[in-house]
Amino acid sequence: MAIDWLAIAPEVALTVTALLVLAADLALRGDAKQLVNPLAMIGTVVAIVFAVVLWAEAPRVAFEGQYVVDSFAVAFKLLFLGTLLAILAISARYFAEGRYFQGEYYFLLLTAFIGMLLMPSARDLLVLFIALETVSVPAFVMVGMRKRDLYSSEAALKFFLIGVLSAALMLFGMSMVYGFTGTTRLEGIAQALAGDAGSVPLLLGSVMLVIVGFGFKISAVPFHFWAPDTYAGSPLPVAAMLAVASKAAGFAGLLTIAFVAFEPVADVWAPVLGVLAILTMTLGNLVALQQRDLIRLLAYSSIAQAGYMLIPFGLARPGAEVVNQAAVRAVLFYLIAYAVMNVGAFAVAIGVNRRTGERSIRDYAGLGTRSPLLALAMTVFLLSLGGAPLTVGLWAKFAIIEAVAVEVTVFGLVMASFLVVNSVIAFFYYLRVIREIWFEPAAAEAPRLQPALSLSVVVVVLMVGTILLGVLPGLVADPTVVTTFATGG
Amino acid sequence: MTAHDLVFVIVGLVTAVSAILVVTSRHLMHAALYLALTLTGIGGVFLVLGAGFIALVQVVVYVGAVAVLFLFGLMLTRAPIGREALDSQNRGLGLAVAGALFVLLAALIIPAFGGESTAEVTGPTIEAIGIAIFADWVLPFEVLSMLLLAALIGAILLARREAGESGTEAEVTRIEMGEALADEPDRHEAVGTSAPAGELGAGGGR
Amino acid sequence: MSPLGPLLLAALLFSIGVYGVIARRNAVLVLMSVELMLNAVNINLVAFQNLLFPAELAVSGQMFALFIIGVAAAEVGVGLAIVFNLFRNRATVNVDDVDLMRW
Repeated sequence: MAIDWLAIAPEVALTVTALLVLAADLALRGDAKQLVNPLAMIGTVVAIVFAVVLWAEAPRVAFEGQYVVDSFAVAFKLLFLGTLLAILAISARYFAEGRYFQGEYYFLLLTAFIGMLLMPSARDLLVLFIALETVSVPAFVMVGMRKRDLYSSEAALKFFLIGVLSAALMLFGMSMVYGFTGTTRLEGIAQALAGDAGSVPLLLGSVMLVIVGFGFKISAVPFHFWAPDTYAGSPLPVAAMLAVASKAAGFAGLLTIAFVAFEPVADVWAPVLGVLAILTMTLGNLVALQQRDLIRLLAYSSIAQAGYMLIPFGLARPGAEVVNQAAVRAVLFYLIAYAVMNVGAFAVAIGVNRRTGERSIRDYAGLGTRSPLLALAMTVFLLSLGGAPLTVGLWAKFAIIEAVAVEVTVFGLVMASFLVVNSVIAFFYYLRVIREIWFEPAAAEAPRLQPALSLSVVVVVLMVGTILLGVLPGLVADPTVVTTFATGG
Repeated sequence: MTAHDLVFVIVGLVTAVSAILVVTSRHLMHAALYLALTLTGIGGVFLVLGAGFIALVQVVVYVGAVAVLFLFGLMLTRAPIGREALDSQNRGLGLAVAGALFVLLAALIIPAFGGESTAEVTGPTIEAIGIAIFADWVLPFEVLSMLLLAALIGAILLARREAGESGTEAEVTRIEMGEALADEPDRHEAVGTSAPAGELGAGGGR
Repeated sequence: MSPLGPLLLAALLFSIGVYGVIARRNAVLVLMSVELMLNAVNINLVAFQNLLFPAELAVSGQMFALFIIGVAAAEVGVGLAIVFNLFRNRATVNVDDVDLMRW
């Protein structure tokens, strides 16, 4: 059996980079250890080049149908690699100044991203499980990296226990699915579900258990409560990784498993996920209103955003090709928009937090005078997260409404109205931060901020991206229109 | 009932009883030893099912490594003074949830698989397993190797006690909690300001 | 041999694990309960493979069980390191004492 190396080229590039980073960290001493960051960036750029090449080569089927590189998968890979590049840039100063374990951190980060790259391509329960764990296990460690910080070790423990528990629930579901269908290939499961196996209660329960495992990764209610504590306790770049990349990986896995394997029983899981969508966004927004710490506010806002992204799942129906494809595209577009604005918001938070340790919303008073660049960028990102006009956030919400409108149902309209109401609520807390930034005087002793060059570049690029995509959403929306699931061999 | 079934019932009973003791034992060390017994019993179940290779892996990895790791973990994290209560206040809740879950699962499993039966237990040979790992499953196998490397490095990173360089200088996060919605109105005051530094001094300076 | 026996044993072990996760407050004991749940999954997989699909070429069920054993070992290693680090900071490993953050 020949191995299709091109199909896994981005993953191989990241693997080689991760091992090089580890070796370089051993060889370098003292301040020279900072060099592992550019090394990791070069590896990421190589992986991006391979992913772009794969875009033209898609679809490819490798490893006997376990692994499929279609336009859906490549779009996700580009999203992950772009996020990785941004996170590497905002990590550089944070980890170099904090004197953390730099080499180990970048190695773990790259390993987690290998798992993410696998996720949208996996067409087998076993590969999906390994991909999910490859994202989770390094993340458990990275969260606890501020070793002497009580919050960090508490965050790591909570994240770890919830993570392994949800993995165990998911595995029990997967084992039952295997027992009924006799295969772990997603295609084979779909065929078996389309037959008479699709009506056994135990099997339907197992399908829900499998979905639970991904519900943890995307922090959907009722598996959300780890997210604020974990984000708040972990090093800030890690929080950005968890809020954006890890969540996107969860969505990639959930999309694949829901729309490839469990599509024939969509009428069972779609209403459940739809109700979860409503609960998730409402709860996330209501609790976000109470927050005083910016990271926790962003965490609850990211829970609410996950709720918005669950809406298209609630629309799915077995056999309804048009509706399902529109749903997949809406989630993908929303994730891209979400990554741009949320990484940006975390980048600003890191810039403000540097040296000063400031992180509560009150500390952002007078940011407009202390660092006009960061203040402007934060305003743009927060407005975009809220869904203001001229930002990509508005189009992201519009994409979801569009998916609802493909085939109007009562349930779809209910979810859409919750989306609108929640967007209005969300503006309250985003605007509260913006008012603090521009209209409150800075504390007398507050120093001017000097963000690192790499961080400033990321902030500017993402801010421009937010506005550019807000004016011309077609730049991303048009390529994502062609993304589809290719069938495994 | 064949002799095969009889062996299964005996092994299964030992496994189930020791599993119950794992979660009810009042002594930490006993719980870990019962876990080792449960894991061995599960290895026995695999043997009865004709999966000799998995049974071997189970004994080597789970009983040999994981259970011993747990013993070390328990010994290294024992509370300094006195014996602490091992159970939380949720035992009633746990019993209700677990009982309901088992009844539900049994009620679903029996009709779904009750009709199936095989006269003779035959599993894939070790040869078939070996070929499957390195032909069909080589991709997840290689990814798992990265995962294990990451876990190894991560575990060393977190567990080692280092002097001087890296990690020790992380300042304590200062987090203000939201308005307490629960019945603890002054919680965020206590947490946001003094508590972490004080506790770190007490706990971390050991 | 009927698959019912192993499947019911697995369901029992899984439920015992769930009880342990809810009732125990020592983090190491909670982790041990999760291991019971993972072992229940392995019994399911091996029973399905050998009793229902013995002729399957890819040996998915047993392979899945092997991978779960490997991943579980990694998780235990990382988990105990996390618990150990917490113990050094707080001198406790009780799950309900770990409550600096709420809301």
